[in-house]
Amino acid sequence: MRAAVAITRVELLRFLKDRSNIFFVFIFPLLLVLFIGAQFGGGSSGSVAVSGPSGALRDDLVAQLEDADVDVEVADADGMRELVARGRADVGVLLTAEASAAYDDGDDLAVQVVVGNQAQSQVSAQQVQTAVDGLAAAQGRLAALVHAGADPAAAEQALTVAAEMVRPAEIEVTNVSEIAQEFSGLGQFDYGAASQLLLFVFLTSLAGSTTLIQSRRLGVTRRTLASPVSAMQAVGGQVVARLAIGAFQGVYIMAATSLLFDVQWGNLPLAVLVMVVFALVAAGAAMVLGSVLDNDAAAGGVGVGLSLVLGALGGAMYPIELFPDTLRTVAHVTPHAWAAEALAEVQRHDGGLVDILPQLGVLLGYAAVLVLVGAWLLRRSLERAL
Amino acid sequence: MRHIWIMTASDLRQRVRDKSVIIFALVVPLALMFVFDLTFGGAGDIELDPVDVAVSAPADDQLAAGLLDGTFAVDAVEVTRVDAADADEVRSLVDSGEVALGVIVPDGFGETLTSGAGPVVQVVEGEASNLSSSVVITVLEAVLDRLTSATVAATAGAVAGVPHEELAAVAEAAATAGPRLAVTEGEASTEQLSFSGSLVAGQAGLFLLFTVGFGVLGLLAEREQGTLARLQSMPMRPGLIVAAKGLVAYILGVVATAVLLTVGGMFFDVGFGALLPIAVLVLCVVASAVSLVFVIARLARTAEQAQISQSILGMVLGMSAGAFFPITAGGFLGTLIDLNPIAAFMHGLGITTGGGGVGDIGQPVAIMLGFAVLAAAASRLVPDRGAAS
Repeated sequence: MRAAVAITRVELLRFLKDRSNIFFVFIFPLLLVLFIGAQFGGGSSGSVAVSGPSGALRDDLVAQLEDADVDVEVADADGMRELVARGRADVGVLLTAEASAAYDDGDDLAVQVVVGNQAQSQVSAQQVQTAVDGLAAAQGRLAALVHAGADPAAAEQALTVAAEMVRPAEIEVTNVSEIAQEFSGLGQFDYGAASQLLLFVFLTSLAGSTTLIQSRRLGVTRRTLASPVSAMQAVGGQVVARLAIGAFQGVYIMAATSLLFDVQWGNLPLAVLVMVVFALVAAGAAMVLGSVLDNDAAAGGVGVGLSLVLGALGGAMYPIELFPDTLRTVAHVTPHAWAAEALAEVQRHDGGLVDILPQLGVLLGYAAVLVLVGAWLLRRSLERAL
Repeated sequence: MRHIWIMTASDLRQRVRDKSVIIFALVVPLALMFVFDLTFGGAGDIELDPVDVAVSAPADDQLAAGLLDGTFAVDAVEVTRVDAADADEVRSLVDSGEVALGVIVPDGFGETLTSGAGPVVQVVEGEASNLSSSVVITVLEAVLDRLTSATVAATAGAVAGVPHEELAAVAEAAATAGPRLAVTEGEASTEQLSFSGSLVAGQAGLFLLFTVGFGVLGLLAEREQGTLARLQSMPMRPGLIVAAKGLVAYILGVVATAVLLTVGGMFFDVGFGALLPIAVLVLCVVASAVSLVFVIARLARTAEQAQISQSILGMVLGMSAGAFFPITAGGFLGTLIDLNPIAAFMHGLGITTGGGGVGDIGQPVAIMLGFAVLAAAASRLVPDRGAAS
């Protein structure tokens, strides 16, 4: 047992002293949580690029759009088209000099809208229509009053007073769909944190499989086995070491996102349990990878690639709840999908141990198979190292 | 010249035998393209499906009827109206998934509106809710704004001293008296990558730095293994060794990017346009990536350090260029992202997709070549920390 603990300690120290880990283990996951939260969790409802001469029309339209929580960027005509073409704005609006002059004179005018190919583009186009309608309505109100005999200046003043007296008609949207319920009450960074937790626990473990190969190549394994340490103890030490590395990454992400982004993990001991069991699956996968391959650079490539692909397929990059049905079934081939389900249950539905038992069972099954196969392969590769 | 070719050929043979370059440069990006297309492919689908909307409104309320008529006149989506007896029926229709959206207009809607008390219309989104539902909700909001506007006009009329009997006419005229502000479809830029197109271009760009790294960073590996000293003792100029590494990186980069664009384009049925401008873009982006990796090779003390810096730069450049999803950034940040060679490469592919030729890709080519020249100059100026240590 002491030998296994010593091997674990050495591997963990080696992991912590590796300078590449400063970025990829400590900084990168948090940057991604921040990035995903900022891109998908923000309160903005679309982005519009507006081009046209400065003046009342452009100012009023921008103000109307910003009132509706739309992000607005002012650019020239080519810049606007480029922003839309490159997906940086959902919709572009082109205000011509004639339109701007017509607006000042209270004449009819046309606003050109360029719709992009983003998912949100059609909705943003409708937002522009609503904003333009709002401008027309403002001019309509004034014209109606002037037409009824009011003095233009007095009419404008009366409209300002009236706008404060009248409460606008509003809509109240409730979403009863399962997906909306699933994500209701979820903080801006909560989904990003849970998905990055799974992605990085697996990635860090698998990328760490290179040290297994390096140990064999540099003769560390041979020297370890020459000391009074049995092959069983050496293999056991490696299993615990991989688990410790994965769990360390997991605990770090959970603690840092709680402190920095106020991410709620639900019942903490249960969330940690899910993470540790998942780390055990990752440890098994890392053992298999580190034993099957003899080239550490190739193992690094396969490790990173496999983690990204399994992560994307298992819902660690895009919510599995939004997958088409068939793909959702396929996704459950990955341990990530089961762990994501268990975390969702704990994080979003106040789930208890009983609620996540099926997922934990499947994950333990994965872990048992991978660890056993990994241990067997590692033992064989140790013999090869001798 | 013969020396360069011998070293280049030997290195290329080694890289191909060492499968890591094939894994990183081809297998991983292709696998990611597939999985991303499978998982978020649906998110890029912007076809607006027809939508069924259940409504309940108080009978004999003209304004409520006007609100619904105005909403269902939307032409952006095909909407089917399902009239329900009351609010409960609307909710049960939404719950059962028979309709995507429910609209419940409260009793006394017209009176509450005209009195300025601000009625609240309930909207219920269900399982079948989609983008079209969002469009319908936005239209409903617009019609409500119009009705509120009429009330504001009438109230302002009263404030301004317009006779009471004329207020209804003022409210009605508010919608029509002003100038017409029409929205027309503007001319779109054709320089637009489709969802799958940006996925293929993005992954090709993201992994480029890793691929060329296998060539250039061989310098550091050779130094650590002691073979660099042996090469330097050969009867040839030392600069040839560096040139050979650069050539290996360049060949690997061009081949990998060409394969990714071709295979990705075939699988996802994406055409990037004419061959010549695409080739120019690939040659330029690989040049900027190779120059950047030379800077890393000078600054890093060990091969390990170099690999770390290269991975960090590769990820940051790739993601900020929009390799996973477009980054909505304007102002200074937007300009900064524009100077990123991977972003310029994707922009260039957008232009060629729209039929642009060599003459149209001047800007992205200038950015990539400018980056390459600056990075190459920097790689000559910064101290060689690996040799110094």
